[in-house]
Amino acid sequence: MKPATVKESPLPSITRTITVFVFAFIAWANTVDASVSRGFTRLLEAVVRIDVREESFDTGARRFTAGIGSGVIVSEDGLILTNAHVASPRAVELSVTLASLERVNATLVGWDHWTDLALLRIDLAEVKRRGLKFTHADFGDSDQLFPGQTVYAVGTPHGLTRTVTRGIISNNRRFFADNRGVKGYETGLFNTWLQTDAAINPGNSGGPLVNESGRVVGINSRGYLGADNLAFAIPANIARRVVAGLAADGAITRSYLGIVPGALLDLEGFYALKQNTGMLINSVDPGSPAARAGLRGGDIVLTINGAPVDGRFPEQLPPILNIIASQPVGATVTLAVKRGDQALAPVLVTEKLESRQGEEWAFEKWGLTVRKVSRAYARENQLDDDTGLLVIGVQAGFPAAVAGLGRGDIITKINQERVVSLELAKRLYADFVAKPAPALIEAESDRRVSLYILKP
Amino acid sequence: MRKSLRLHLSLAAMALCLGPLARAASLPDLFNERVKAIVAVEFFTETELDRRPSITPAMVADSAGTLVLPPGAINSFVPPDKLKDFRVYLPGRPASDYSSAEYLGQDPVSGWHFVRVEERLRASLVPVTAFTAPTPAAEPVVGEEFWGIALRGKDEDFKPYFMASRISYITSMPERTAIALADLAAPGLPVFSPGGSFAGVAIAGFGQTYLQYSRNDRGLPIILMNTEESSVFMLAAEVAPWLARIPASRSGRPIAWSGLYGLQPMDPEVATFLKLGDQSGCVVSEVLEGSPAEAAGIKNRDIILAIDGKPLPRFKPDRVVVGFVDRTLALRRPGDTVSLTVLRGSERIEVQAKIDEQPKMFREADRTYFERLGFTAREFVYGDGINRRVKLAARRGVIAQFVKNNSPAGTAGLRQDDWIQEVDGSEVKTYEEAVARLAVIEADANRTDFVLLTSRNGETAVLRVKLK
Repeated sequence: MKPATVKESPLPSITRTITVFVFAFIAWANTVDASVSRGFTRLLEAVVRIDVREESFDTGARRFTAGIGSGVIVSEDGLILTNAHVASPRAVELSVTLASLERVNATLVGWDHWTDLALLRIDLAEVKRRGLKFTHADFGDSDQLFPGQTVYAVGTPHGLTRTVTRGIISNNRRFFADNRGVKGYETGLFNTWLQTDAAINPGNSGGPLVNESGRVVGINSRGYLGADNLAFAIPANIARRVVAGLAADGAITRSYLGIVPGALLDLEGFYALKQNTGMLINSVDPGSPAARAGLRGGDIVLTINGAPVDGRFPEQLPPILNIIASQPVGATVTLAVKRGDQALAPVLVTEKLESRQGEEWAFEKWGLTVRKVSRAYARENQLDDDTGLLVIGVQAGFPAAVAGLGRGDIITKINQERVVSLELAKRLYADFVAKPAPALIEAESDRRVSLYILKP
Repeated sequence: MRKSLRLHLSLAAMALCLGPLARAASLPDLFNERVKAIVAVEFFTETELDRRPSITPAMVADSAGTLVLPPGAINSFVPPDKLKDFRVYLPGRPASDYSSAEYLGQDPVSGWHFVRVEERLRASLVPVTAFTAPTPAAEPVVGEEFWGIALRGKDEDFKPYFMASRISYITSMPERTAIALADLAAPGLPVFSPGGSFAGVAIAGFGQTYLQYSRNDRGLPIILMNTEESSVFMLAAEVAPWLARIPASRSGRPIAWSGLYGLQPMDPEVATFLKLGDQSGCVVSEVLEGSPAEAAGIKNRDIILAIDGKPLPRFKPDRVVVGFVDRTLALRRPGDTVSLTVLRGSERIEVQAKIDEQPKMFREADRTYFERLGFTAREFVYGDGINRRVKLAARRGVIAQFVKNNSPAGTAGLRQDDWIQEVDGSEVKTYEEAVARLAVIEADANRTDFVLLTSRNGETAVLRVKLK
């Protein structure tokens, strides 16, 4: 800025600046063009459209729904990376449209709703038989992304195959967790997200977010409904690890301690902590390893297995939680904890992390669909234990609906037997089917216990 | 003095003539006389920030100026000392002329609220019991005509107006209750026979299902409820004695308590399945900790079949049996013993429960509003423990009864009903301790912030409340 004493119209200087920028842009655009021609072409050939037919259990019967998503081929042997909310274990039919517009079947290798990622494999035998060809994309380093960097989203928004949109990285470390984000499953707790203003619409899900050279830096996952250009993608560096894990085991196993953290923000003074030290425990899940070790809300975790942690800001929490989650199940974790003036060193043994969402099933002749009560669901709803089946649908005119059962009821007993597992319920249902007779159901709703008779 | 004497004399004369005249009197005369058993009551509910007016019709219970307000007229969670400035209006008299009254409390059996009007108005009132039929009338039958009174709004000086209808249906809810073809009285007001005898009390009506058609919706089912007039009334034979149930204290105590939580009706189909024939029953969802039911050995999911050896009657709809059990037990007094027959699995068990006094209720809980902090701390009472599934031994802290919008506490994320367990990192055991510590913070003008540990839906959170 020139001092005010200089009597010069501001106009010429702005014009100069613009000119400089325009030159710079042309030069930059030229170099990008060159790489687009190579990297992008290859990338575009690796992006696929995914058509999914999946089962759903929310109407009192097993029904099928169809959806469209995107994906990107990430290996020579036909592994396709997409979103967990596109391809889940509910999928009964997965078909992939290659860049060559040929359709091929695919199978689910595994999914990980926590990071909203799923891995498919193209039917290679079919590809070989039909002489089809595909290329695969390469990952870029998502840690090198900076806000303002140009990125492109490729996918199938609203079924419009191979649509490319452009935007920038709006934020490279966005934190949000969603307790029901992926088909009712939890997501986002263990990773930060890339935020971009590249247009992401329904159907973009699972498609790649790429840099100028066509390298995959993220997997597009979601946009803010009703907002303009607020979209989120899973960083490639996380996706890479998940791909390796899913390819090897079909699932990502994580560890659980039962600590719910909160950002420290301005609480360092109150807890007499040095700046940028420690993670605040907001809450401890009842019955969890952390609860058994006596931890409670207001405790500060200073180190995990000797390594200091810093949870001052919300976006610093996922990496810390990921340290815990990455421990082998059954591993011993030693924490250094500050409680007031006390220093504690609890030793915890991790458990396997489980979703709140249990397995779903349809008892067709009862017109009843259920979801197994999980430990996490029981905790969340302050149930005594994970006994029971949550009713997620009843079909009008069928025995369950006629008896008065409804969505949200928790079936705790069938013919006086406690429903400790879905398998037990299936067995009791099989008895009913083999020899139809009235069945006595005990169900709880909002802590009220009622008895129902299901009549054949 | 002379004036009031004259009034008494005329009242006495009226009472003497009432019997023979009643049959002969014209309906307008009967109406005008019975309006004297009816008033409009206005009162104010004081909250942290404002005073909210309410208006309800009420009936005169006795000659001591006792008025009965319907159960829904006052939220039973509101502490009686927050109910202010009761005003009683005579129907049709200028609304500028009103008398004051005091709140007496809520009866736990009828749910009625009792209010007593100041002396000067009492002579203008006639208790509804003055219109009781001289000889007990037989239960009304279908098709019989009844009439009642409702009141216009305050802007119309609560003008009384006449309503009438015929009985279409009589049922037990569990009280004997008549349902008329059309609205015939304001809820909470008496219903009379054609001859003017007190026949019952109108209660909040039932919703009626209609289909709503509009440009966008075709046949959208909606339920309409008239809150000012009702077609349903409880028969006098059963509810007239309740008029004498004037609470001994504003808390409504003594209140009988057995500790049976979440009673649910047993379906007839279930009874058949359990080989109970046409026996009625009630499932006990939970037995509350430290309650008479627990001491008696009742278990969660027991099915109550009989009280004091008398099998529970069967009602339609099935759920009425819950009201029957509640009412039967509520009519006992703390210290009474009640015998319950329950079904556990396939075994019938007889237990004796000693009815106890209801633990401290929400409306009785102490509370303090901290204006600078922006919230009201309320004592943690028994019901809080039930709602939060907390054992008696783990009870502590206070409940955020009210949180002011955009106040320091509200901005920090405190919400109504949050359970405050710690203040500034150390546990608060009792209400007194919490209030003492919060008062110190409130009074300290130099305080910049303080920290709460709160619990909501079983999950705790640390909240930093910034004061400046």
